[in-house]
Amino acid sequence: MEQRPAVPGDTGETERRDKSGFGLGMVKGLATTARTFFRPTHTQEYPDVKPHLPPRNRGVIALVEENCTVCMLCSRECPDWCIYIDSHKETLPATTEGGRERQRNVLDRYAIDFSLCMYCGICVEVCPFDALHWSPEFEYAEFDVRDLVHERDRLHQWSASVLPPPPPDPAAPPPKEIAAAEKAAAKAAAAASAQGGPTDKPGEGRTK
Amino acid sequence: MSTTDLGMPGIGPLQSAAPYPLRLVLNWGRRYSLWVFNFGLACCAIEFIAASTSRHDFIRLGVIPFAHGPRQADLMIVSGTVTDKMAPAVRRLYAQMAEPKYVISFGACSNSGGPYWDSYCVTKGVDQIIPVDVYVPGCPPRPESLLQAIVKLQEKIAGENLGRRYRRSGGTPVSAAAATRPLVAPDGDGGPSSRSTSRRARRVVSEAAVPRRQTTSVLPSAPPPAAPVQAMTLRPHTPQTAEDTVVDMPAPVPPNAGPETKEGPR
Repeated sequence: MEQRPAVPGDTGETERRDKSGFGLGMVKGLATTARTFFRPTHTQEYPDVKPHLPPRNRGVIALVEENCTVCMLCSRECPDWCIYIDSHKETLPATTEGGRERQRNVLDRYAIDFSLCMYCGICVEVCPFDALHWSPEFEYAEFDVRDLVHERDRLHQWSASVLPPPPPDPAAPPPKEIAAAEKAAAKAAAAASAQGGPTDKPGEGRTK
Repeated sequence: MSTTDLGMPGIGPLQSAAPYPLRLVLNWGRRYSLWVFNFGLACCAIEFIAASTSRHDFIRLGVIPFAHGPRQADLMIVSGTVTDKMAPAVRRLYAQMAEPKYVISFGACSNSGGPYWDSYCVTKGVDQIIPVDVYVPGCPPRPESLLQAIVKLQEKIAGENLGRRYRRSGGTPVSAAAATRPLVAPDGDGGPSSRSTSRRARRVVSEAAVPRRQTTSVLPSAPPPAAPVQAMTLRPHTPQTAEDTVVDMPAPVPPNAGPETKEGPR
């Protein structure tokens, strides 16, 4: 055998393999192809199969106009300044005799420019009146970038696709309102039973 | 170094003369064999790559991934922030593509600058330098959004007339400078620029003449109107009656509907 320069990883098998059969490499390759051919695929064939979307998925923002009081917090907090709001004030006559006239904000224009939006959700988070919600819809590509500005009627239409809020995590602590209400109820029960005699209070065992 | 004026490339006159059945076949062939030149610049490129993998797989739709270069590509997908430093490269590579060519703007940054629209070095939308056919919103968009945009582009190609798409205005060759679209003129009331006017608002109002975005017919756009420039203006939505603000549709139930939420009558 002639001396070969030492090559790391060279175990001399290549020479032996070449001598074992003509076209063996191609057969091995075809075997791999055949094996892969009959393996199940993981392709989700959109648009025939819609994707499985997680519950808090952010597709598009929906506006529930009835809840909006035009406080403009969403527009101010949006880091991109992609929410355009126009409004005016209306004066309502006094309801009682000698009362004061009331002023009301009326929404004229509410638009979200989805060509700028980065889907951070700050507007949804910051709205004190739950007028903005996430909707999982994502199929709204357009031919013209100006059509990516959704005006209020289009934003209102998205609210039909908003999912109900997911149920709370069973291992999570109860929300503060429920905890406070339970404490108040337990206190009232304790006061009632202190008069009538000591009894076990099943509500005390809950973790905070 | 002197430059040679090669003239603007274009589609030959036979395209305009082709009969409808032939155009149907050619459109079918063209829309189901789009070789894609991925212009992946930032995070949206990752979603593009995810769309090319086996889970979503845009090759099913006829979009063949990773052409060997712009000269062999039909479709350019600009995904990611186009910085001012990269903009000449985008323009150059787009010019190296052969007609007919299509562009998908993928993601907020290439649609309009996205979250970085205020930056000193970001091009506010790749459509400032090249004409775009489909805009995909998202930051980043889902891979399925890209698939939907491809389907939308294919529907557009199905109904298109290449002769009209690449017709030169008045028969004169258009230089690259003339082919760039001028900015939309802002309207007079100082509100948000009329660039943000929705098509719906444009259809509703047709008064004072504010010129809409001028496009030469070299660039892909809807067939140019035969009438003079379509007029549009931005009119604030002033409710005329109490019913004006009510949208005529089934009342959506707010997700947090409960005894504490007031639902207005419809």
